[in-house]
Amino acid sequence: MTDPQPKAGETILRLNDIRKVYGDHVALGGVSLDVKRGEVVAIIGPSGSGKSTLLRCVNQLEVPDSGTLEVLGSNIDFAGRVSSADLLALRRKVGMVFQSFNLFPHMNVLRNVSFPQERVLGRSREEADKVSRDLLERVGLANKMENFPQKCSGGQQQRVAIARALALEPQIMLFDEPTSALDPELGLEVLAVMRRLADQGMTMVVVTHEIHFAAEVADRLIVMADGAIIEEGVPSELLAAPKTARAKQFLSAITDR
Amino acid sequence: MDHFLAILSAVPVTLLVTFAAFALGAVIALPLAGGRRSRFAVVRLLTKGVIDILRGVPPVVFVFILFFGVGSDLIRWEPLPAAIVGLGLISAGHLAEIYRGGLMAVHQGQFEASAALGLTSTTTFSRVIGPQAFRVAIPGMVTWLISLLKDSSIVSTIGVAEIMFVTSQGARSSGEGLLPFIIAGAVYIALGTPLAALSRWLEKKLSFGRRA
Ligand SMILES: Nc1ncnc2c1ncn2[C@@H]1O[C@H](COP(=O)(O)OP(=O)(O)OP(=O)(O)O)[C@@H](O)[C@H]1O
Ligand SMILES: [Mg+2]
Repeated sequence: MTDPQPKAGETILRLNDIRKVYGDHVALGGVSLDVKRGEVVAIIGPSGSGKSTLLRCVNQLEVPDSGTLEVLGSNIDFAGRVSSADLLALRRKVGMVFQSFNLFPHMNVLRNVSFPQERVLGRSREEADKVSRDLLERVGLANKMENFPQKCSGGQQQRVAIARALALEPQIMLFDEPTSALDPELGLEVLAVMRRLADQGMTMVVVTHEIHFAAEVADRLIVMADGAIIEEGVPSELLAAPKTARAKQFLSAITDR
Repeated sequence: MDHFLAILSAVPVTLLVTFAAFALGAVIALPLAGGRRSRFAVVRLLTKGVIDILRGVPPVVFVFILFFGVGSDLIRWEPLPAAIVGLGLISAGHLAEIYRGGLMAVHQGQFEASAALGLTSTTTFSRVIGPQAFRVAIPGMVTWLISLLKDSSIVSTIGVAEIMFVTSQGARSSGEGLLPFIIAGAVYIALGTPLAALSRWLEKKLSFGRRA
């Protein structure tokens, strides 16, 4: 945390006219989105609407066909090639949590969290382990550190994944349906951790089907359909009175369940 | 007893051919397996061609090509290096496919998580993907090592003084047909058994604490 901290409330993530096409299928048809420091943005929308693709464009797991991306003051223009140094710098500032956890199965929980710190931040093993222990305690996994991921429940694995991302001190956290692979109770453990993270002021973009979480935690709710943002607003207002027919239809479909 | 001692004295040569060829193959197989996953179609096609040839030609034919063919026309070489290079290249073809199977068994999410964490591709391969792929590849690698141990007998045909070479010599000079070859067979089995045990031990050790 040696960087001078930009003041709260400024835009730290700006997607401008991001397009992504697979073959002749338009996954993202020119999406623009600004996220302010400390803001929690929830994204909902039907399957295939481009939610994951949008998130993955932010940390360059997908390279957009066109558009620009601005993360904490660094610009990337997808008209040209993105250098690998820029790429690593970008990914250092942005953490990501996946639906399928993706912990390293050949490392125990502690190593999962420590190893990336050693590699990415150049921390010593002792330093890294200290940070890891601290984070793992905070997500309620003090007694699981020596376990291998396979021996942990899904909810525990996802909390390890969150700790692993946080250990790199990201300034923005991306979550792609972090609870969709979990039983409801296990999902609650994960949502509790995310809620705490939001309270601590972390900037978060969360793709989720958890409407309650979105309503209670998010500052802004975004509805996507067919590769576009069709509606956005304050969650409680948007959920109570969606303006577009498409959003109305989607919301009634998921709340009926 | 004479036969037995003579055959035992040839064991180091058999082991040298086997392990040297395996080591050579294990290294050359890395770029071959990598080439099969290249983003360039030409490279993929080329490496697939090379692998198919290495796997398709019988070892004895390949060793003859190297020793008698290339050996007389281009470079003069001794039987031993020709044997090691010949079996090494064939091993590379087989091991490349075994590596490839291991790589394919690694979940796509492992690549994505590594990338998202900002690990370099070198670190991703050496510390995340490699160990997981290796674990899947180990049984196949040891199976190949055992068959290589047995196949190394073919290099007796170009005059490498390994187990089979010494055995045939002994059989001819003593006029005893059955005994020397039965002893040779028993020695191969005795050499292969610890390798199979090693494979089981490694598999257990590398099972990521599932059974721990
Ligand atoms: N690698 C790919 N190759 C081809 N098409 C893809 C690829 N990735 C995504 N798509 C397509 O792009 C569209 C958007 O996919 P995306 O995964 O972003 O949707 P999503 O909103 O996250 O859906 P879900 O709720 O099912 O996760 C889909 O139609 C999908 O089939
Ligand atoms: Mg998705």
